Amino acid sequence: MPAITVDELTKRFGQTVALEALSFQVEDGEVFGFLGPNGAGKSTTINVLLDFVRPTSGSASVLGMDAQRQSREIRQRTGVLPEGVELYDRLTARQHLEFVIDSKDATDDPEALLERVGLTDAIDRKAGGYSKGMAQRLMLAMALVGEPDLLILDEPSTGLDPNGAREMREIVREENERGATVFFSSHIMEQVETVCDRVGILRDGQMVAVDSVEGLRDSVDGGTTLRVTVDRIDDDALQAVRSLPDVTDATVESHAPPTVVVTVDGSKTAVLSALEDRGIEIQDFETTEASLDDVFQSYTTDTETEVHAQ
Amino acid sequence: MSTETGAGTDATDAGNSPASSIDTESVRAVAKKDFQDAVRSWLFWGLSAFFFTLMAALAGFLSWANPDNFTTISFIALVSQVCKLIIPLIALLLGWKAIAGEREAGSIKILLSLPHSRKDVLLGKLLGRTAVLSLSLLIGFLIAMVAVVFAVSEFSFPAYIAFLAMTIVYGLAYMSIAVSLSSLTRSTTMAGAAMFGIFVLFYIVWNSIRTALGLLMQRGYIEGVTYTTTGLTGQQIETTRLPDWALFIDMIDPGNAYQNTITLFSALSSDRIGTRFPTAAFPDGLPFFLQDWFSLLILLFWIAVPLAVALYRFDRVDI
Repeated sequence: MPAITVDELTKRFGQTVALEALSFQVEDGEVFGFLGPNGAGKSTTINVLLDFVRPTSGSASVLGMDAQRQSREIRQRTGVLPEGVELYDRLTARQHLEFVIDSKDATDDPEALLERVGLTDAIDRKAGGYSKGMAQRLMLAMALVGEPDLLILDEPSTGLDPNGAREMREIVREENERGATVFFSSHIMEQVETVCDRVGILRDGQMVAVDSVEGLRDSVDGGTTLRVTVDRIDDDALQAVRSLPDVTDATVESHAPPTVVVTVDGSKTAVLSALEDRGIEIQDFETTEASLDDVFQSYTTDTETEVHAQ
Repeated sequence: MSTETGAGTDATDAGNSPASSIDTESVRAVAKKDFQDAVRSWLFWGLSAFFFTLMAALAGFLSWANPDNFTTISFIALVSQVCKLIIPLIALLLGWKAIAGEREAGSIKILLSLPHSRKDVLLGKLLGRTAVLSLSLLIGFLIAMVAVVFAVSEFSFPAYIAFLAMTIVYGLAYMSIAVSLSSLTRSTTMAGAAMFGIFVLFYIVWNSIRTALGLLMQRGYIEGVTYTTTGLTGQQIETTRLPDWALFIDMIDPGNAYQNTITLFSALSSDRIGTRFPTAAFPDGLPFFLQDWFSLLILLFWIAVPLAVALYRFDRVDI
């Protein structure tokens, strides 16, 4: 049973179309990265899942339950880190957590939760004085209450420094190992690539790609870039490399020292062998994978790159 | 008074408007949190101090002005006049941001991410805020009681407590109006405007209605009821009063209803506070809807009806 099923979901706000016939599934037990530029409709999707807004048409189900009719049951088993939310200024971290624990009828210890997110020092301080990062840590702790089956994290890295973002990803991993499904939205690719099993890319209210991180890399032109420094280079050798089946392009980048840049989709050793077969001595080589940022860019901006939605 | 519900964002277009359920545990959890939050505000402490000072000052004034005839009843009569005017202001002030403020700050998403229905949130907010208002009333009234006990010639504890209880019910009525309107608006600006509308409606418009109706009667637009009464010198005087329905309009005002209900629970006669009708004007007896017990229903109406509308609407909007 999928943890989240969104089926032909459309949401209009007056004249504005926020979501247009959006369909996707999040499998039970996976970490799903929900990626898209600001304004793509990520928050609207999450708002529908939590019944904050009602669909214009289409439907959504969470943990096998209808997102509208059984919202209370869904939210009992879901931990949420909402985006763009202010805490209660006059309440301490402890009081925030006690409220969540009370609301979910859970038995968690506020101190243990704050220790996980690294906010133990501020336990009895009022949230009004928190920095953005501290507020985000507290909200993550609130999402963890009651060992939820599903975690919905809307832009969880907001306000966190790189270290904080890494810790947050670590918690996502731990929660996933415990058995929780994690639905994780972000507008930054690198936030999701290290933790997510699959990534869905949303653009203008539509899913333009859903795939594993590897699959997304492969789906975009580029593949791996191989940079080989050699003792000499000739046209014959270059032609031999270009004729290899996995190679899409090969150019001479510089002549001192001679460097060949090869774009390859498959075996890199085949390239190196082809050069060596021509008696060329390889002095050094490095590979650069197409960055996922490039992948994200290609899906979410208007370039000529052809996109194969799946 | 106008309310904004965000045109075009009604969820009803999906033909699917689920009504949420009410869970008492959720209501309690929300109320407790809201109370914890609001009780730490300067507004609460300011209010408590204000009530205490007010009560003590009024008690002091009465005992100074009328030392021989200062009773619990005369104290209640005076204080209820003041409460009638300031409780609405305080309730509107405490309640106007209850929902609209959380929507503006986004923290409503914290509440609604938890297993609380929208109805739970609305009811919890109303109870939490009313508890804050009640606590400040309680503190003010109880501390002032000490002063009153020493000042009055004869202290009536039941009358005093009944007065406090009715004042809390009156506060609940205005809190229901405030929180309900707050839930129907999307921004605190709109909520503030709605509160101002309520203020104008009951402080200015309603108070003018009776005068206006009297004028209309004099000009013959409304047919009055003629009756005879005995004048000061013993002669029979024929006068005209407003018809029953026009008098009823005046009774609807929550403030009037509040004062009329106090007479129900204390030994206070309606000669002192609330609406008074000369017996001679109603030879067949006062119609039931002008009697004091009916004012209690009116007060309950002001608690239930705004809340019912808000419970219905709040379930159906996009947050």
